[in-house]
Amino acid sequence: MEIRIQNLKKTFGEKVAVDIANYEIHSGDMLGLVGNNGAGKSTLFRLILDLIKADNGNVVMNGHFQDKDIEIDVKTTEDWKEWTGAFIDESFLIDYLTPDEYFHFIAKICGIANEQLEQHLSKYEHFMNGELIGQKKLIRNLSAGNKQKVGIIAAMIQQPQVLILDEPFNFLDPSSQNAIKHLLKDYNQQTGATILISSHNLNHTTDICPRIALLENGVIIRDIQNIDNSAEKELEAYFNIND
Amino acid sequence: MRLSAWKFYKELKHLENLSESRHPMFEKNRFAKFLIYFMFAYYAAILLFLGVIMPEALDGSMSSFHVLDSGFFYILILDFWCRFFLQQTPAQKVKPFTLLPIRRGFLMNLFLFRSALSYGNLFWGFFLVPFGFLAIVHFYGFIGLTGWLFGWWLLIVTNSLWYLFCRTLMLRSLLWLIIPAVFHIAIVICSFEFDVISNLSIDWLEQFIFWNPLAYFAVFIPIVLLFYINHKLQGNMIYKEVGKVEETEMKRTSEIKFLDRYGVMGEYLKLEIRMRTRNKAVRTQTLIGIALIIFFSIMMSWGDAYDDVPFMISFICLYNYLILGLMTLVGIMGYEGNYIDGLMSRRESIYDLLKAKYYFHLVMMILPLVLMLPTIFTGKTTVLMNLGYMFFIAGVIFPILFQLAVYNTDTLPLNKRMTARTNNWVQSVISIGVMFVPIAFEKAIVALFGDIWGFIILIVIGLVGVCTHPLWLRNIYHRFMQRRYKNMEALRASRENN
Repeated sequence: MEIRIQNLKKTFGEKVAVDIANYEIHSGDMLGLVGNNGAGKSTLFRLILDLIKADNGNVVMNGHFQDKDIEIDVKTTEDWKEWTGAFIDESFLIDYLTPDEYFHFIAKICGIANEQLEQHLSKYEHFMNGELIGQKKLIRNLSAGNKQKVGIIAAMIQQPQVLILDEPFNFLDPSSQNAIKHLLKDYNQQTGATILISSHNLNHTTDICPRIALLENGVIIRDIQNIDNSAEKELEAYFNIND
Repeated sequence: MRLSAWKFYKELKHLENLSESRHPMFEKNRFAKFLIYFMFAYYAAILLFLGVIMPEALDGSMSSFHVLDSGFFYILILDFWCRFFLQQTPAQKVKPFTLLPIRRGFLMNLFLFRSALSYGNLFWGFFLVPFGFLAIVHFYGFIGLTGWLFGWWLLIVTNSLWYLFCRTLMLRSLLWLIIPAVFHIAIVICSFEFDVISNLSIDWLEQFIFWNPLAYFAVFIPIVLLFYINHKLQGNMIYKEVGKVEETEMKRTSEIKFLDRYGVMGEYLKLEIRMRTRNKAVRTQTLIGIALIIFFSIMMSWGDAYDDVPFMISFICLYNYLILGLMTLVGIMGYEGNYIDGLMSRRESIYDLLKAKYYFHLVMMILPLVLMLPTIFTGKTTVLMNLGYMFFIAGVIFPILFQLAVYNTDTLPLNKRMTARTNNWVQSVISIGVMFVPIAFEKAIVALFGDIWGFIILIVIGLVGVCTHPLWLRNIYHRFMQRRYKNMEALRASRENN
């Protein structure tokens, strides 16, 4: 599924949060969004997911879904929700459910049968590390890292063609960070899904994203093709990491 | 340079004032602000009124102040239970200060002093000052009045420390509620059984008027003791409060499997049930609603207070069917504000959610119907009346309350203790409207068509509303979607402030 951003603008008072003239994320792209705090990464994701109103412009999704050609502006219809999975923050989680109950809830409203769900969850066994399934713990009582895992897995339950994850490596222990890197990469290769992730972790981002957008004050100032981690140096220079 | 104790005390006072004036509800909601000032003025006016009329009303074989002094513990008992709505324990407030370079014991003493010297402990002055002015000054002059008021203030300070002690224990387990409950019941029973208690009370409080040091000494001892006990207890509680973790493992989780057959709707119904059973605020609200229904049903079935007041019978009958829905639907979408982004990233989830909520409330109407059966058996209400109200609420009042889903923009905390939730003016107007308009409507219809046809008409109107629910729910959903950006922004902002 291709995502086209056209003249998209969002301001909060005087501050320009997002201002993107034209930007195309191709079908099957795995795009890393990087930038300093307040650069507009989460706002851009929220605009793509129609969770906040753009002052101007639109986000169009274009591609095939269930043998149909589709081209839709996300703010005019809810159809895109059928092929889009996302996790931005805890406001995506229903915290008085256990992880099992939450996964079943999401599966049910996405029309996924229990057997299919079990099969799907089995792929994440290593990532879940035995701490989510079969536990009698409510999501609100989980550690920040485990909440993050619940959110990521829930976003992927419907096998979305567009997957949006805001800072997916946050709160995760090193082995889980490594696991999610592989999961995302494999998912992208196997399904051809378009994946958008934002992160402050440049190593992880350059490890898995062949394309990286650098955001500054809401504007994409560089669109970097990252072949064999070639973007790492450019990003390190931008963020003054080796000073 | 470190702050002196006095300066730090003043700083604490300043911070507490800021925390009150900058409370999100208070800041955002003019109506809430007005309501708080109004309630303060209202209760102060009641106390003033009582303080003015009671000296004459109580004057008889004993002086009025003797009558008041003989039952001083009743006022303290009332004062104690009112504090649950207003007073926090220092252990609950101390968290932000624990890492500052201040000794913990010193910090705790300051908080206890703040609590003891709080203006709240002077509120009874609205009653005691005019009362004393009219009842004491005449006999003992202003010096006597001052001594008496000072003595009363010390008693109220003692009561506040006693409350802090009990409340702190209750933070560990609600079972500690037994201590003040038993103590207060014992005092009341003893005061009825033994005259010596009221005589002693009169003698003791009269000595305040004469500035007898022994009388004050008798209050200072419990004050010092309670201060010391609180200091120790609150000190221990700091660790609990700072490291407070919810009970992390549930004893059992119910799968509510029978709802699986209803597909997506079943899932949303499960969500509604779990929201009500797993979150303190919602659970308390539901339990209070059920308790009220039971209370009113019993009062109506076996009491005779309302027998001669048909309006009250109609009102209570209607209220019993309405209360559970009213308590939660007036804040509809408020709890969902906690996970609104998750809901909004799924197709038509708000419509399904609203539908499930409506079905849930329809099923819940069985509860008041069952609980109202005794009133039918005892002849206080009729089957037709109950059905009339039930269907009218389900088919007319609920659709009105559901309209608030479009306009409610305040996220309500799910799992905090139920605090004094303040409605905005729209919610308040609708709450009052749905309580009185149906009665007026029913009275008009019954007056026009008689009892039987009146209630049959209510049933028919209600059934039309119930049967057309997909239409009006869909309409609410579309209007919600039109306002979605505004609502989501406000729900997000208020969630962050909770």
